[in-house]
Order: sequence, then C-alpha cells, then structure tokens
Amino acid sequence: MFLAWIVAIPFLGALLPYGAVRLVPKQACGAAASLAAALVSTSALIIALSHTPDVFAGGEVHASMPWIPRIGLTLALRFDGLAMVFVLLILGIGLLVILYAHFYLAKSDQVARFFAILLLFQGAMLGIVLSDNLLLLLLFWELTSLTSFLLVGFDPRSIEARRGARMALVITGGGGLALLAGFLLLGSVAGSFELSEVLAAGERVHQHPLYLPILLLILLGAFTKSAQFPFHFWLPSAMTAPTPVSAYLHSATMVKAGIFLLARFFPVFAETDIWFYLVGGVGLTTFLFGAYIAIFKHDIKGLLAYSTISHLGLITFLFGLGTPLGAVAGLFHAMNHAVFKASLFMAAGIIDHEAGTRDMRRLSGLWHFMPITGTLAMVAAAAMAGVPLLNGFLSKEMFFAETVHHEWLGHLDWLLPFIATLGGIFAVAYSVRFIHDVFFGGPLQELDRTPHEPPRWMRIPVEILVALCLLVGIFPEQTVRPLLDLGVQSMLGFEPRYDLAIWHGFSFPLLMSLVALVGGLLLYRLRRWLFRAHDWVFPPTSGASVFQRLSTGLQLLARARMPHPTQASLQNSIAWLLLTTLVLAIWPLLPALWSLDVAGLSDWLMGLELSPLDVPSLGAGLILVVAAAGVVGLRRQRLQATILAGVIGLVLSLAFVHFSAPDLALTQLTVEVVTTILLLLVLYFLPQSDVARLSRWRRTRDLVLAVVAGTGVAALALVIMTTQTPSIAEYFLHAAKPAAGASNVVNAILVDFRGFDTLGEITVLAIAAAGIFAMLRGIRLHTPQRDLFGRPWSPDVHPTILAMLSRPLLPMALLVAVFMLLRGHHEPGGGFIAGLIAGIALVLQQLASGQQWSAERLRLNYTRLIGAGLLMALGTASAALLWQRPFLTSAFWHSESTWLGELELTSAMVFDTGVFLVVLGTVMLILDNLGRLSGHRQHGRRAGHQVAAHPAPVPAASAPALGSAPWKS
Amino acid sequence: MPFETAFLATVLPELILLATACAVLVLDLYLNDEQRGWNHNLAILGLAATLGTVGLLSNNGVTIAFSGSFIRDPFGDLLKGIILILTIFTFVYSRDYMRERGLWVGEYHVLVLFATLGMLIMVSAHSFLTLYLGLELLALCLYPLVAFDRDSKPGAEAAMKYFVLGALGSGMLLYGISMLYGATGSFGFADVAEVVNAEGLENKILVFGLVFVLIGVAFKFGAVPFHMWLPDVYQGAPMPVVLFLASAPKIAAFAMATRILIDSLGALQADWGEILMILAILSIGLGNVVAIAQTNIKRMLAYSTISHVGFIFLGLLAGTQEGYAAAMFYTVVYALMAAGAFGVLAMISINGLEVEQLDDLKGLNDRDAWLAAMLALMMFSMAGVPPAVGFFAKLLVLDAVVSVGLTWLAVVAVVFSIIGAFYYLRVIKLLYFDKAADSTPLRLAGDAKIAITVNGLAVLLLGIFPASLLGICNAAFSG
Repeated sequence: MFLAWIVAIPFLGALLPYGAVRLVPKQACGAAASLAAALVSTSALIIALSHTPDVFAGGEVHASMPWIPRIGLTLALRFDGLAMVFVLLILGIGLLVILYAHFYLAKSDQVARFFAILLLFQGAMLGIVLSDNLLLLLLFWELTSLTSFLLVGFDPRSIEARRGARMALVITGGGGLALLAGFLLLGSVAGSFELSEVLAAGERVHQHPLYLPILLLILLGAFTKSAQFPFHFWLPSAMTAPTPVSAYLHSATMVKAGIFLLARFFPVFAETDIWFYLVGGVGLTTFLFGAYIAIFKHDIKGLLAYSTISHLGLITFLFGLGTPLGAVAGLFHAMNHAVFKASLFMAAGIIDHEAGTRDMRRLSGLWHFMPITGTLAMVAAAAMAGVPLLNGFLSKEMFFAETVHHEWLGHLDWLLPFIATLGGIFAVAYSVRFIHDVFFGGPLQELDRTPHEPPRWMRIPVEILVALCLLVGIFPEQTVRPLLDLGVQSMLGFEPRYDLAIWHGFSFPLLMSLVALVGGLLLYRLRRWLFRAHDWVFPPTSGASVFQRLSTGLQLLARARMPHPTQASLQNSIAWLLLTTLVLAIWPLLPALWSLDVAGLSDWLMGLELSPLDVPSLGAGLILVVAAAGVVGLRRQRLQATILAGVIGLVLSLAFVHFSAPDLALTQLTVEVVTTILLLLVLYFLPQSDVARLSRWRRTRDLVLAVVAGTGVAALALVIMTTQTPSIAEYFLHAAKPAAGASNVVNAILVDFRGFDTLGEITVLAIAAAGIFAMLRGIRLHTPQRDLFGRPWSPDVHPTILAMLSRPLLPMALLVAVFMLLRGHHEPGGGFIAGLIAGIALVLQQLASGQQWSAERLRLNYTRLIGAGLLMALGTASAALLWQRPFLTSAFWHSESTWLGELELTSAMVFDTGVFLVVLGTVMLILDNLGRLSGHRQHGRRAGHQVAAHPAPVPAASAPALGSAPWKS
Repeated sequence: MPFETAFLATVLPELILLATACAVLVLDLYLNDEQRGWNHNLAILGLAATLGTVGLLSNNGVTIAFSGSFIRDPFGDLLKGIILILTIFTFVYSRDYMRERGLWVGEYHVLVLFATLGMLIMVSAHSFLTLYLGLELLALCLYPLVAFDRDSKPGAEAAMKYFVLGALGSGMLLYGISMLYGATGSFGFADVAEVVNAEGLENKILVFGLVFVLIGVAFKFGAVPFHMWLPDVYQGAPMPVVLFLASAPKIAAFAMATRILIDSLGALQADWGEILMILAILSIGLGNVVAIAQTNIKRMLAYSTISHVGFIFLGLLAGTQEGYAAAMFYTVVYALMAAGAFGVLAMISINGLEVEQLDDLKGLNDRDAWLAAMLALMMFSMAGVPPAVGFFAKLLVLDAVVSVGLTWLAVVAVVFSIIGAFYYLRVIKLLYFDKAADSTPLRLAGDAKIAITVNGLAVLLLGIFPASLLGICNAAFSG
C-alpha cells in the first residue's frame, strides 16, 4: 500500500498548514503555512518518483484494498505511464504554484485555509489519475469539484467570486452525477468496476445496445469538467479565483481531468463514428469558438480562460479523431499546454499584483518596468501561439498534420485543415494581443502604483516553466520523449510510430503554421475593425447569463407550482388524497373493466344469496336515503342537519332490531340521543356566521369524488359480505352458557370473553372524561344574545311543560336503567346501556329545569363516580387472582332462595356495575361541563327576567346554559 | 391466548420505556419549575436503559412472542437502537429551546417517550394489529406535540390539519388491513404471507387491501401526493418537535413498510413496486423543485424530506435484497442527517431568535464556526456530495435500481437531485458567505455540542466507512 501514500499524504497533510500556523509567531505565519504545504507536496512527489523506475521498466504498480465490496467499490490504485504523466504534472506544477502563492498571498490572513484546501484539491486530483476503480475515480472527481468550489470562492467578500464558484460547482458537480450514471451503466455492461477489466471489455461495450447512453453520460462528465462548448462558460466565471488557483486548476489540473478521462477510456470508446462526430465535433467547435472569443477579452485572465477553452477543445478534437497518432498528439499537447498556460497565468498574476489591474485597455508599456517578466511572458505566449523552437509548436504541428491526413469527410476534407488554420490564426492574434497590449502599445497609463519587477522568488516558478517550454521545444527527443512514450504505451496498449522532430522538411502542416503566424499578425493589425464587427454581429450574450436565467427560471417555476406560499387548504388536501386513493384503487381493476362482461356481472348479481326484501326494510332504507340526502342538502342549516343525522341513527337502530340484535339497537339508540345533545351543545357555541359558500367547481368536484368513493365502498361491501367466510359466531353461541353462565351472548362477550377489552375501554372513557374536564375547567365562552338574523333568543329557557313532564320521568328512567343492568347477563341490556339510559334521564332534568336546579338536588361527584366504577371493575378482575386464577376469570353461583326465587349471581355482574358507573359518570361529566361553558352573568340577567315571568321554584342566579339550546323564537 | 412469562423478557425494552414514561408522568407532579431538569434526566436515563436492554437482548436469532404478534430480530434491534439514540439526541438538542419558551414541562417528555414506545412497537410488530397499535400510539402523541406551543396559531392549525389528514391516512390503512383480513382470515404477517404466496393476484380483495395499506404507508412517510401535511406541520410545530418528527418516525415508517410490504405482501412485489414507482417519481420531482422556492427553512427541509422519501421508495421498489438494504441504509442515514440539521436549527434558536427564514442562518459561521460546519456537513450529505454518507446512500439506491434494469428511473432521480443540490448549496452560501445581522457568538450547552459532534461525525465516518452499517443492513435482509 505504499502507492496509496501518494494520495493519502496531501489529504492528511492538509492539516499541516493549520498546525504550522499555530506554532510560529504571527509574522511568520505565511511562510510556515507555505513551507508546510510545500513539504507535503514534496513528500508525495518523492514517493511518486520512487515508483517511476518500475514504470520505466515497463511495469505497472498496483495497490488494492476492499472498501465496500457489495457495490464493487475497492480502494484500487494503479500507477502506469498515463497516470505517471499526470501525477508529475500535478505535483510538479503544484510545487511551483505553492511557491508562487506564498508571495501572492503574502498579506492574506487566511493562508493556512488556502493551502489546506489546495492540498485537499491536490489529493483529489491525484486520486482521479491513480484510481483503478470507476467508483473510486468518481469519488475523487466529485471531491475536485467540491474543493475547487472552495478555492474559486476563496474570497467570500466578492459577489463575483461566490457566483463563479457556485456556477463552477453546479456545472462540474452536475456533470459528475452524469458521469456517475455513466459509470454505473458501464460497470454493469463490463461486469466490474475495476478499471483493468473495463478497459479489457472494449469490444463488449462497443456492441452493447447501451453504448450510446454510456458514452453520452461519460462525455457529459468529461466535457463539463474540461469546459467544452456549450458548458464552457463556468471557466471564465471561475477566473474570479485567486491567480495561483487559476494557474493550478484552470491550466494544469482540474480542467485536464476531463482530458484524462478521454485518454483513459480511449481504448474502450474510440474508433466508432459516433465518438468521432461527438468528441471531434465538440472539440473542434470549442477550439474555434474559444480562440475567437479570446481575442475580444479585455481582462488578461479572461483572455487566458478562453484561450484555455480553445486549447482544451483542440486536445479534445485530437482524441476525437480516434486515431493512435491523434491520441499521441492530444496527450502531448495536454502536457505542453499545462506548462505554458500555468506560466502565463502566473505572469498575469504578477502583472495584476504589480500594476493593480488586469484590464488590457488600461495597461500598456510595462516592458520598461518589468523586462524580465515581459520576456518570460513573451516566450510563454509564443509557445501558446505555436512559434517554432517552443513546445507548443511541436504539438500544434502534429495537430495540423492530423487534420490533413484525415479522410472522414470525403469531399469536405479541406474543411478540417481550413478550420485548424483559422483557429491557429486566432490563437496567434490573441497571443500577440496579450503581449503587445500589456508590455508595449504606447507609454504607461495612469495607474494606482508604479509597477516594478516582482520579488525574485516569485518569478522562479515562471522561469522554470518557461525554461521547460524551451527545453521541450528544442530537445524534444531527449527531454519529453521517454515520458510521452510511457504515457502513450499505457494509454493505447501499444506504441505507434511518431516523430517529434522540429524539422520535417517543407510540408503542408508547416505551411499551415506559417499561414497561421502571418494571418494572426495581420488580424491583430486589423483589430479595430475586428472589434467593431464583433460587437455588431454578436450581441452581448454568454453562457453564463443563460445559466443565470435558467436558474432564476427554475426558481420561478418552483414558485408557480405553489401559488400560495403559506398554508395549503385542508379541504383541497383531502380532495387530493381521496382522488389519488380512488385512482390507485381503480388502477388494478382497469384491465377487468376494459373487458367487462356485462352478462356475467348481472348473472353474478342475480345469483347472490341476499336477504329477502320486505316492506319495513324497504321503508327504512328509503328513510335512510332521504335523511342522508337531507343532511347534505341542509348542511347550511346546522340544526336541521343535526336532527336529520339523528334520524339516520334511529333508523339504524331499527335495522339492528330487525336483524335480531336488540343489544346493539339499545346501544345505538341511547348513544344517538347522547350524541345529538352533544352536537347541539357544540353547535350552540360555534360562531353563528354563515357557512362559506363554495364555488360551483368545488361543489362539483366534491360531488363527483363523493359519488365515486361511495359507489366504490358500496361495491366493496357487497363483494366482501357475499363472500362466504367462516364465522366466529358459532364459538360464542356455544360457549356463552357453559363458560360464562350467560344467556346473552353479546353481554357475555363484553364482560367475560372480551372483558379485558372492556376494562381498557372504560379506562379510556374515564381518561377522556378527565381530559375534557381538565380542558374545559375555567373556560367561559361568549353566549350570543341574538341569532344570525338579529332576532333575540327566546327568553323562555325552561318551558314549564317540559320541566313538569320530565320530573316524573326520572325515577322511571332510573328504574329502567337498574333493570337493564341486572338482566344484562341473560337478556338484552347491560352496564353500558344502563349507564347511558341513566345519563339521559339526568341530562333531561338539566335540559328541562336548568343546571343549577338539578345540581342542587343531585349532589353527585362525577369524577368520584368514574373512579369508583373503574375500581369496581378492576377489583372484580383482580379478585380472580386471590383464587389463583388468571386475571379476569369470572365466577358464578347458582342458588335457589325461597324469597327471591331462582337467582344466578356472577362476578361479571359486579364488573358490569363498574361499567355502568363509568359510563354514567363520563356522560354526565362531559355534558355538564360543556353546559357550564356559557357565561354566568349574561344568563343570570335573563334568568332573573324569567323568574319574574314564571314563579317556578327556580333560583334566581341559575345558569341555565343547557336549557338555552338554540331554538329560534 | 396462552400467556408465558418468558414473553415479558422479549418486550423488556418496551416495558422499561413504558415504566420510564409513567415515572416521568408521576414525578412531574411533584416537581417545581426549578426542578424540571429531573424529567429530562430521568427520560434520558430510561432511554439509555432501554437502549442497553435492546443491545443485551440482541442476537442473530429471531424470537416471536405473544402468539405471533410480536417479533424480535436483528433488523428490529438495529432500527430500535437508532430510534432510541435519535430520541436521546432530541432531548439533548431541545433542552435550551424548550426551557427558554416555558415548554420544558413533563408532558413534553412523556409524549415523546410514549411516541418512542409506539415506534418500538411498530418496529417489532408481527401482526397488523400490533403494528396499528404502535402506529396510533405514535400518531396520537405527535398530534399534541405539534401543537405543543399552545399560543402559536400556526402550530394549532398545523396540528389540526395533521390530525384530520392523519386520521384519514390511518383510516385508509385500517380499511386495507380489514380487507387483507377478509381475504386471508388472519392478522399475522406470517399467515397473511402464506395465503398471499398461495393465491397471489387471483384474489381481487387482496389487491384492494394492498392498495389501501400502501396508501397508509405512503401517508406516514409523507410521499407525494400524500405529503400535504408535511410542510405545514414542519412549519407550524416547534423546532424540537420537528426535529423529532423528521428523524425517528421515518425509521419506524420504514420498519412498517418493510414488515407489511416485504414480510407479508412480498409475493405482490410487482404490484406494489409499480405504485411505489409512481409515488417515488412524484416525490423526488415535486420535493426537489418546490423546495427551491421556499424561503422558510423548515418548509424547505420538509420538501427535502419528501424527496428523500422518494429515494427510500426507489430502494424498496427494486424488490431485491440489495434494494431493501439500500433503502434501509438510506433511511437510517436520512434520519441521522435530519436530526443533525434540525438539531443545529434548534440549538441556534435561542436568546429570543426563532429560526424560521433561510436568512436567519446568515453568517452562522461567524457566530459559531463548529455549528456552521456541522450544518454544512448535513447539507452536503443531503445533497449527496461525497465523502458525506448521503452520497453513498444515493449511490446504493441508484445501483439497486439500475441492477433491476430501471436505468431511466435512476437517470430521472439523478436529474432531480442535481436540481435539488441547488437549495442545499444555498444554505451553505448563507452560512459562510453572508454577513449576520447580529454576530454575537453563541453560548451553547456542552452536552448539546457533544451530541451534535457525535451526530456530525457519524455522518462523516459512515461516509468514509459505510461498509459496517451496510453490512448490518444486508444481514437484516439476507435471512
């Protein structure tokens, strides 16, 4: 795993600058941080160099460790020729950039942060070129996007820096995700994510139907990273980065990641037509477009950015040719471009540093002040323009030669050399413009400061790089050939014959070079015309502004989706929910509906064994329908709607009687009464305002939804209830008497078989009552004096007739309740029903005679009543434990007594009494407390008035809230 | 129903939690306002004890108790552990927030503890009834929690909507369960699975039951179009409640989905997979696009949640063991990220500031660099940027989807998550590049800082070493 240290050292070493800064005094911070960074880079470089002998000997160094085997992700690294070329570029230029940045950032207080991020970036970049696993490569790929985001936006105070950083991140990060998709597909086609296996599977990938999507996705990743048209615009925007960052990221490393990808996957994808048209086409367009735009940029870094785009396009085109020689030229130019462009960026940084501006319209005549920098820049620019005896010339010559020897376009073969020469002319023009405008072009203009040569050591990196340009340009065979050979060997798998000589004799490519040189100089002479024509032909638009517009558009779209940024309407939510439910429920039935067999369906309906229809059930059904329709129709008259809802409940209890379920009928009946009273009470306190009228569309929508949902539920009910399933009724019918000593099965289920459930239920009831009690305590609500139409409420709150009639009812009702309770175990009845009956009887007194009146006569503490009931039920249940029987085991004694006749006593009876008490207490507690809600004082006055009118024994200060139900006068 | 005392050992964690909740309920009656800290301490102690018991009881085997209605297995142990840890985080993060607003009362602890108990029951459910029991225990605690700040109008409105829609969702679930019962004659997952395996789609009632059950599941997750409650609830509820709501219940919902869809209706995978696909696309699309328009951070994160739910569904609909494991991984990771993000928001909502708008985050870096870094980490992770764990979660899910041949679905998901990255990055920009209106440094409690650090480290370390968690997730589905 020695190899892994090349990648690991920059990552771990990123902490070092921070540490170094802490250790030294403040004025030495900058030096300490840069020294630490340089140390880290140097150690990585040493390890890399220690592996080079193996590679030169013709081998590859591999290191691998499983990471997440499940998805095929291994920590696999490979150090072959191609990787070596890039590793040396990354680390070598990295070291120079660190040295340069030390002087550039001298005054910045965040040197440590800068170097830390720079090292992280370096590590990520090394990771890309060394990865031997697609997913690992992708990880590092995204890391470079992330760290470059931090580097470009290094100056958080500048809006442009932030915008540029964000744009770069969105474009390159987005491209990375496309690359992820491409890699996932490629991995599934090749059967592995290991690079070696993927590279070997070239044939299979070519033939696979997914070849095109894979290629498109991976190219999308490469093109966004390498700033190819039409994704180029992030690169000029990223020029807001500190210059060392540009020199590193935008010449030698980050933008070369895409090129590296093309080189790495060249054997897998190349040699198809689509590759040529896509990669070659995009490359050529970018080459020409970038070179053209570069001429018109006034900012030095802008010019260099577009020139970079153009050169990247050139390299992309060379790979796009799909020929071995093209790939060689592409790799060679990638190396050369890194060297001369890094030095040019550094020179631009020096100029910016010394002159205080990068605007070429404000710069001129700097030659007299900084001749050495000028010379260096001149040499580098000449390399960029492709002047002989410099490295740029060699690779450009190869490029020209490739365009000439190509025969793809048939009778349009002349087009490629023509475009290449045109691009060459532009390149010469912008190179000349850079040198001439900045260093010559008249005397020095007014500047903020007097420019002079930079510190000695700041120039060193530029000098080294320019020296490299010269060395490679003059002695290519001796200097760069061995390295290039290795790179080519590992890229292509074989070594094509190629020639790096400076002089090939008079040839067509040389002629193209000469034309480009002369043409470029001429074009520069005519620049005034050119600028005017450019402004006239091209309106000022750019990819960056398109991007801005797109991202704003997306935000607008997102807002348009939500017209109401605040809270959504609950009714609409429910409608949506229902609609989706219906769609999802009907979906699986669609095929069946499509081939609906009407005859079969009616046969099935006819064949159903339904209960016979008689007149009473038909009538009850009709009443049900009418009442339900009435509730809907009268929903705006709440009182009438409530009463109609009560009718539905009563008819339902009749239905229970009809189907021989007297217990259910009794429960339904009593519950219905209590619920209606409760509803009326609640309505009384609701605001009287009219119900909002719904729009026609809303009503139609709700109607359709309701009808469809109702039909669906009815159909489902029909289907399910006619399906024969084994019933559990038999068991209870047979077991009730012997096991529970009960003839009433329903009651036996409640208090015996499912006694535990009942115990839980009454506990819940008690808790609910306690909750309502706690919530309503102390609350007084406003009681309206007049109804919606301004009419006063009836002053006669307690009609005498009702009061008189209700009083004799009470003892009778209580007697019925006790009767129901006692007989519950054998006949219809039970604690639950009995509790409700007693509750209704007591509530009736309150309704008829007023709360105060009843409270004085009935001194019941409802909470204690509930508590007693609960304890009684729980006690009965636990008593079984005393006899070593399970909880809730019931016991019954059968005795014959002379006085009482036959008597059967069961412990369940005590339990049922507990239920009775709890139900009674709960009903009373809730209704009583709700009734007390209305304000005392207002009612007091009205009550007083009433006393005068009716000398009934009603105390003057009564608060007859319950009685004042909203009957209209 | 035969009852054995040994069953009680299986539900020991739940019993301890129940006892803790009851103890806090009673203890709170005897505390004055200065002593409320005891509620907090007791709750955390109880949660820790529960967590320890879950750990002690865990083994590779499966225990089924209470006549097949309760199950203890490694899958459940892991999810329970994470739920308990997240609940502890919730209490630690929320202390200062609740105390400052006078909401730091016993009811808060009791409700959260009971909700947690509900989640544990959901995770261990082995029959529809047990599941529903846990679900309702959770939901009924969450409704009042949303309206916990009784003076807050948005809170009351949100709770009301949550309650009505939640009741509807539960109703759908129950309706579906009743149909499944009608079709199979049983509530137990194992028995239902047996019938479903035998009959499959022949039984139309089964299909209906499936649809309604699925709607219930989607509702609890908050997948589009059953998501309407989510943004309102996130916006209206107090921050600690959102923190709780956004993290642990998602894990319980995942357990519910797994138990229902895979354990009991696995044979119908082709059918529910189709529906999940629709829901997943809608969720990822709508969640990511609408999140961009939000200016309220809680609403933004609500829509972000919706899009993450879509991703979880992607893993489930793949229908393979890898897919299920990926979905589980995603859920756990998402819950951690949500807890961290809302935790930071709750921690900085002090000294009278209520973080509501995105702009309230401006310049957090200047006020507390560590918290800003943690929030940034959560945002990067949610956006799916390596090496944070969110990236692996997305990668695993996409891998599972691609491996069953649904490449187009993966591409759609990727496109929308690129769009989604935008709004997470906006938060980062606010944190680091904008100036705060008030740049006084924050003074935060030590334990909350430790908790957020642990939370952040978990997100980072799981990103670097995802194999451990992934291994457990895989093991949970390999049986």
